[in-house]
Amino acid sequence: MTKFAISALNRRQFLSTTAAATIMAGVSVPKFAFGADKVVKIGFLAPLTGAVAAWGKPGLDGCQIWADWVNEAGGIKIGEDSYKVEFVPYDDEYDPGKARTGAVKLIKEDGVQFIMMLGGDPWPGVFPVSQKENMLFSTLLPSDLSPETTRLVAPCEVHPIYNVTGVEWLAENKPDLKTAVICAQDDSLGKPSVATYLAAFEAAGIKVLGDPIFFDPATTDFAPIMSKMLAVKPDIICLDTCYADYVHPLTEQAFQQGFKGQMISCTADFYPKMIEKTSKEFMEGFIFQFPDFDDPKLNEPHVNFKRPNEFYAEFAKRFGADQWSAVSWEYASIMDLWSDAAQKAGTTDPGAVLKAMQEGGKGKQAFGEAVWWGKELFGIDNALVGVWPVVVIQDGKAKIQQFKSIPAWWDKHKALMIKHMEALKQMYYQRA
Amino acid sequence: MTVELLLQTIVNATYAASYMALIAVGLVLIFGVMGVINFAHGELYMAGAYTVVALYAGFGVSFFVAVAAGLVFVGVLGLIMEYALFRPLRDNPLGGLIASIGFLLILQTIAVLGFGVQMEHVPPATQEKIVFANGVVLTYQRAYVIVATVVLLGALWLFLRKSKFGWALRACAQDREAAQLQGMSINHTARLAMFIGAGLAGVAGALTAPLVSPTPYMGHSVIITAFIIIIVGGIGSLEGAVLAAILYAFVYTFVTTIYDGTLANIVGLLLMLIVLIVKPTGLFGAKERA
Repeated sequence: MTKFAISALNRRQFLSTTAAATIMAGVSVPKFAFGADKVVKIGFLAPLTGAVAAWGKPGLDGCQIWADWVNEAGGIKIGEDSYKVEFVPYDDEYDPGKARTGAVKLIKEDGVQFIMMLGGDPWPGVFPVSQKENMLFSTLLPSDLSPETTRLVAPCEVHPIYNVTGVEWLAENKPDLKTAVICAQDDSLGKPSVATYLAAFEAAGIKVLGDPIFFDPATTDFAPIMSKMLAVKPDIICLDTCYADYVHPLTEQAFQQGFKGQMISCTADFYPKMIEKTSKEFMEGFIFQFPDFDDPKLNEPHVNFKRPNEFYAEFAKRFGADQWSAVSWEYASIMDLWSDAAQKAGTTDPGAVLKAMQEGGKGKQAFGEAVWWGKELFGIDNALVGVWPVVVIQDGKAKIQQFKSIPAWWDKHKALMIKHMEALKQMYYQRA
Repeated sequence: MTVELLLQTIVNATYAASYMALIAVGLVLIFGVMGVINFAHGELYMAGAYTVVALYAGFGVSFFVAVAAGLVFVGVLGLIMEYALFRPLRDNPLGGLIASIGFLLILQTIAVLGFGVQMEHVPPATQEKIVFANGVVLTYQRAYVIVATVVLLGALWLFLRKSKFGWALRACAQDREAAQLQGMSINHTARLAMFIGAGLAGVAGALTAPLVSPTPYMGHSVIITAFIIIIVGGIGSLEGAVLAAILYAFVYTFVTTIYDGTLANIVGLLLMLIVLIVKPTGLFGAKERA
């Protein structure tokens, strides 16, 4: 009993073993390298650990597939030379300070030519670096954009404005649903999304009952939040842009507390697990915005993402279909745009690539032709906006219902959007 | 607030009080007997949850067997901590605290290496639920936590009050040197305290694994709440920890339901501040230590 459990391990050995484990954690972040004479390095600065890792790590996995395919085909031809692509990841842990350190390291030590970020809370830490180093950055969250962010583009995801398409589709297809409640985590991702949903519901003639419910990102028990939402007996529960760690327990709570109505959310990452925790019947009709890329509708001619079904199959083969998330394809689609622009510019120089990317004010966004847009909402036309899919779970599988135009909605309802963004102090001129 | 919402909130608060009490009592027991502030307590909770992830969700072992395994496994982790970290630093409380922070990082790293950074999905052991009048719902999964808490804390109370080992634990918590002079083994009582304290955190994590989405970082929020609870209850008081867990859970849950979660956090901290001003020793103070 005196030597219980550690008889074969003295204190020094124990400490050295655990120290080794800690060091291993530091070096366990994957790095991709390829043997080639000419290599262009791309920075991947996103959360790879922590609560937001679901919107970083699967994106890096997708980039690995993208790089393998491009490199196997001989690399990217830029000017007279062909370049293999190497991604250099840095885990910012969704922290501005760490993101800033990572940006400096990627630029100064690794010599990257372009840095992809998730965006959101870490961006303010990186912003001064982008200005000083003239580096080109991308974000998945255009709410990072402002007139000052001249080196930041949102060429793939136009969060949160694409959420209007889900609400618009809902109102067209289920006109009997008239009331909704919204909840979101109280952060830079949740608030602009709440403003967007409020505008979309108002435009669709759906009444939002009570104020949106903001919860602390450290929340672990979602029963009280769901009880509060269900108390007003809504037709629709809107989960806004909650992180996957919140969408799952909130959905489970809705199921357990007997909700029978419609659910809508920006994302439903790892939805098969939600079905497992609730039921196929409960999840039937769940609306969100991110398709599985084995969806046949992604083979329609307007879709620019290359070989979507093969990409999904490869992702599932390498990492497992259950690891597919909203961002698995997004960073790869940004690389398509960057690659095209670098080839057009004949150089990897960040300024020249940006200029080539935005030439003519139009671009090939993953789901179709799009325009560089955002002056009225973000103060700068650095978001590439076009159509976006509305996805519904049917018989346990996510299926694209329709591609809907974001600019068309904006032209009709922009006053509503600006009103709600201002009310939550999310317009670019209100943000600190 | 409707009657239905009021009753549902009471049910929600009862569940929250249960798992918070399990965690806080373990933390108090370790502090009371060993004089160490165990910052890795949240990660012991995480380790319990991952035991269920591995055994129940991974290998299909029965949920209750996995929960029992979580208790034992995390209890053994506690023994390792006692032997490798706290015993060599017994006369250095600050050293014990720093060592526990180090152990926290090690446990997180092991979880990351073993399971990855993503949240884990643990299917509920059952989807059955009790539906009370007015449509108030208590799922069996949550009821398990409440029942287990009552049983385990009741058993602990009996153990501490009625058994020789329990008396030894209480004696060591009151005056270690005097207990030693009476022939009690400090090492033995420390091991016992660590096994029980860690095991309670482990069983809390194991029981709640299907109700939360386990991640390697899930211990963070839990440890902060546990510290608030033991400060409010009176550091070193088991009864105080239970009472404070109930008080905190009800205040937090009601404020979350009526207003919002951010305000609930502020109110929770205010509660701690008020107790510290009015009764700096906490609700039960030092006299009622284990």
